[in-house]
Amino acid sequence: MSLVEIKGLKKSFGNNVVLDGIDLSIEEGEVVAIIGPSGTGKSTLLRSINLLEKPEDGQITIDGETYDLSRITSKEKLGLRQHTEMVFQQFNLFKHRNALENVMEGLHVVKKLSKEEARQAALQELRKVGMGDRLYHYPRHLSGGQQQRVAIARALALKPKLLLMDEPTSALDPELVGEVLLTIKQAAKDGYTILLVTHEMDFVKNVADRIIFLEEGKIVADGTPREILDNPENERLRTFLRNINMLRTADDYVI
Amino acid sequence: MAKLFDFQLVFTEIPDLLAYLPTTLFLTFVALLIGLLVGFVIAIVRMNKIPVLSQLATAFVSVLRGTPIIVQLYISYFGIPIALKYINYYRGTDFNINDIPGIIFAMIALGLNQSAFDSETIRSAIQSVDKGQLEAAKSMGMTGWQVLRRVTIPQAVSVALLPLGNSLIALIKGTSLAFTCSVMEITAAGKVLAGRNYRYFEVYCSLAIIYWVITFILERVMAAIEKKVSIPEQPPETEKSLPKQSEARKEALA
Repeated sequence: MSLVEIKGLKKSFGNNVVLDGIDLSIEEGEVVAIIGPSGTGKSTLLRSINLLEKPEDGQITIDGETYDLSRITSKEKLGLRQHTEMVFQQFNLFKHRNALENVMEGLHVVKKLSKEEARQAALQELRKVGMGDRLYHYPRHLSGGQQQRVAIARALALKPKLLLMDEPTSALDPELVGEVLLTIKQAAKDGYTILLVTHEMDFVKNVADRIIFLEEGKIVADGTPREILDNPENERLRTFLRNINMLRTADDYVI
Repeated sequence: MAKLFDFQLVFTEIPDLLAYLPTTLFLTFVALLIGLLVGFVIAIVRMNKIPVLSQLATAFVSVLRGTPIIVQLYISYFGIPIALKYINYYRGTDFNINDIPGIIFAMIALGLNQSAFDSETIRSAIQSVDKGQLEAAKSMGMTGWQVLRRVTIPQAVSVALLPLGNSLIALIKGTSLAFTCSVMEITAAGKVLAGRNYRYFEVYCSLAIIYWVITFILERVMAAIEKKVSIPEQPPETEKSLPKQSEARKEALA
């Protein structure tokens, strides 16, 4: 059985159906990238998995535990959230805590480690993402890329079964994207199971095991990067990829 | 001509007035606590839009902000005994109204008045905390209470500190009206003192000095607290002893 199984996930905002019955299984250690035009529910899918949005219907099984998302108790909610961690587009670090305290927070408060154990574990994670020399910097002292690396360390420190990443590089200056992608690549290498929304197609091509193309709340295509990017069979997927390629070759239009 | 202004008296009277300072400070302290506690509850009720309570809280804040504090003190001083008499009559209880010290009425009136103002400060401070950080805390698996205590409150406090400090300063000066509830705080003591020698002008000058010094000290204390809770402007020195890990990692991954 797969590590993560999502069945019949539905979510609408008012009359607008954003997710229309998503079925998705993810194997342990898999890196799955979600692509698709804007407004097709990519972020909503991620946010529904850890209940930052409340889906109308659907169930999720993580590591053998099944949760009915429409009728979840607050205790189950905490349980589900402890299996998943989220990395946000805007980093969302705690502004009143320094890098080390940001990573310690969940270890101490949620995982109930002692301060000293949490500190040791946090140190280790921060060193892994290359932030070992900025432990006492507050988020306001760090660049976007550095903040996002701390945020990734904060998520990984809690050893999530499933790591959710919602456009982790979209808010960064172009020259800072590389360091964050490198950190994500490292996490993938370390065997974390990752569900990632991104627009970095080169990165997806190199790092993802699987790509899911989401359009109008449905999974339209699902396959390896080679299948999706090199030989797209679906007409809508082809259109989408053509659109991105057109943006890529914008240089051609420069007079 | 008799002495128009007895300069020396302004200072020699101060020790006599300071004897009543504990009353002023105690009244301030209790009203501050009532204000913060009730204000916090009102803020939570209004933010969560709890039916009925929320409308009552809105009306309460509107009335308390819309009437003068001296009127509220009189209403407390005359209204609470009437209410107790009414309860005694209909419930057969036996509260002795004359046993209640005047300061209690002043505490209630000043405290509730503070709460009306503080609730708005607390509400806007809580709402100013970035929603993304709350989502980050929730998605870690923190309970609602943990999110409030570990993320919302620490950040809201630093936002609320300055306006709450202002409101505390207003409160200290507001206690000078507590004589309406027959409380002998420093202003009331000053009036009594001046009644003996008719040197009203001098005693009010003494009082002005005392209030100003208290407020001055308080401003310093608030500034110190603010400095302590605010995030430092400058980043600390980077720990140079550690190897440049990002470089090492880049090589490892290359």
